[in-house]
Amino acid sequence: MTGILVIGEMAGNAVTKQTLETVAAALQLSVELKQPVSGALFGAGDLAGAAAQFNCGFSTLLLVESERLEQYSAQQSVTAALAVIAKLQPSVLLLPHSARTRDWAPQLAAKLGSGLVLDCVNVVVGEDGLAAVKPMYGGGVWGQHVVHGEPAIITVRAGVFDCAKPDAGASIERLEVPNLAPNPRIEHLETIVNEGTDGQQLKDAKTIISGGRGTGGQENWHLIEEAAAATGGAIGCSRAIVDMGWLRWNHQVGLSGTIVAPELYIAVGISGAVQHLAGISNAKTVVAINNDPDAEIFKRADYGVIGDFKEVLPAFIEHVKGYAK
Amino acid sequence: MHIVVTVKQVMDPIIPPSHMAVDASRKQVVSASGAPAVMNGYDANGLEEALRLKQVHGGKVTAITLGNESARNTLKRAVAMGADTAALLCDPQWQTLDSFGIATVLAAGIRKIGKVDLVLCGRQASDSDGGQVLYWLAQLLDLPVVSPIIKIEESGADALVVHQLMDEECQRLRVELPALLGISSEINEPRLPSPKGAVIATRTMIPVWNASTLNVGQVAGKVTIKALDIQVRTGQAEIIEGADGAARGRALADKLHQLGLL
Ligand SMILES: Cc1cc2nc3c(=O)[nH]c(=O)nc-3n(C[C@H](O)[C@H](O)[C@H](O)COP(=O)(O)OP(=O)(O)OC[C@H]3O[C@@H](n4cnc5c(N)ncnc54)[C@H](O)[C@@H]3O)c2cc1C
Repeated sequence: MTGILVIGEMAGNAVTKQTLETVAAALQLSVELKQPVSGALFGAGDLAGAAAQFNCGFSTLLLVESERLEQYSAQQSVTAALAVIAKLQPSVLLLPHSARTRDWAPQLAAKLGSGLVLDCVNVVVGEDGLAAVKPMYGGGVWGQHVVHGEPAIITVRAGVFDCAKPDAGASIERLEVPNLAPNPRIEHLETIVNEGTDGQQLKDAKTIISGGRGTGGQENWHLIEEAAAATGGAIGCSRAIVDMGWLRWNHQVGLSGTIVAPELYIAVGISGAVQHLAGISNAKTVVAINNDPDAEIFKRADYGVIGDFKEVLPAFIEHVKGYAK
Repeated sequence: MHIVVTVKQVMDPIIPPSHMAVDASRKQVVSASGAPAVMNGYDANGLEEALRLKQVHGGKVTAITLGNESARNTLKRAVAMGADTAALLCDPQWQTLDSFGIATVLAAGIRKIGKVDLVLCGRQASDSDGGQVLYWLAQLLDLPVVSPIIKIEESGADALVVHQLMDEECQRLRVELPALLGISSEINEPRLPSPKGAVIATRTMIPVWNASTLNVGQVAGKVTIKALDIQVRTGQAEIIEGADGAARGRALADKLHQLGLL
């Protein structure tokens, strides 16, 4: 088996940014392993447009187009991946780490009996072979995981690599995959789209105002909302706020929430647990407002305000509104 | 309904990296201050959900863990919360198993338990953050698997309706039983052990199943951890000064404006 395969993901008709980051990881690995990179995309409808964005330094680019892939199911993704792997015989499979891949990649590994490491920040080649670097303990520890057997399956965390640039290098082939079908024991009833998504997805937000347990939730939350309105930012939160039932999970930033990459992240009443910090490692400028000078968040933040947010935020909001005028 | 919940004893996830240490073999992270280990949070959510299902359907909840002798504490807690029985899967040769190896042993343990309608696992362990044992386990037991689950909407004798959390939406799915689910924290708030439960836990015998009880041979791993590096933060924020909170709030706005961020 030889070659590195990247299976990309799409949002609508376009490949995701994270897919292009994963290609960059593959191209870096390809230099070390001296093996070519190929790509594959699965989806419903015509994938030609997405394929053009995805075609970055590949030797081969396979498309699996089927109306059956309109609705996600793990088993269909596994079936399509098995067909692509059978054709290309890669030694390594890299995937963007997402809600979908963290669901189907382990089922693919289990089918193939392959070694798998999820949510990695680097892939390196050492004397023991291929090693995936994976944050563990919420992000407090990085572990080098040597993967045995082929193909090694690795998912890559968002925001670690810069996007690869398309070069239209590979010719595009279409692969027919018969018997694409979901697991007969799992019936899809409905896709529930978030109610109350406030227009600005956290993932793409330029500014995020995030509140934690220190805000007390409900009672003073209007200050977070006003700060978000004044700065044009999206509203995020720590898991403590979701656990309290105050905001829905789609606002949670962190390891088990969203990994964000804003220009400005303002953490209000958030202590800076590793699992929260795992979500903001790609934030450019981090500001912390916290009344505990020893809070861990001040070790990550670029700017810190020590104080009660109930005193700090109202003046901050008024002042920001002044700039807007 | 017989529900098996897999639980893992882990280092308390609130311990910051500055209070962690790597042991001499560089293969294991330990708490530098010797803080007590806890039940993995997502597994506690799984146990809570099992106990709620039992309230509706009757039946039995069994908690199993793979760990060393000290992991008995986590099983005692599971019993104190309301699990009917528990088993400790423990053998010196299982100390450094990877996800596939762990699933192999857990699968043997679950087969020994007999007819099981539902297996609940936490979506991942907060120490390894691995997130794959449940999938290997489902494959080995030939069960349909869905994870992470944030709601069990309906439960019948032969199927469940569940909500699976995706990036931007939820999938509402009907899963046939027997099945395996990975449980996430959004689903419930785990109960604390009751005083009565604590008494029951001290009286409950917890059997130990080893490699020969379960008839499990050497398992060849698929992934080996070669090194662990603690990520200690040494940075320090520039502190925005001011006479009082309001003055600091205004100074912060000025600073961010200067930087072109507002
Ligand atoms: C497996 C796992 C996954 C996790 N995933 C995530 C995740 O994705 N995202 C996440 O956020 N967490 C996650 N957590 C939880 C994480 O460990 C912390 O428990 C959580 O982040 C704490 O939230 P917090 O900072 O809001 O609350 P706390 O830690 O309680 O901090 C509150 C802070 O507010 C400050 N404060 C109090 N009053 C005021 C005031 N008046 N003014 C200013 N400051 C004040 C306090 O000094 C304190 O620093 C996860 C945990 C586990 C085990």
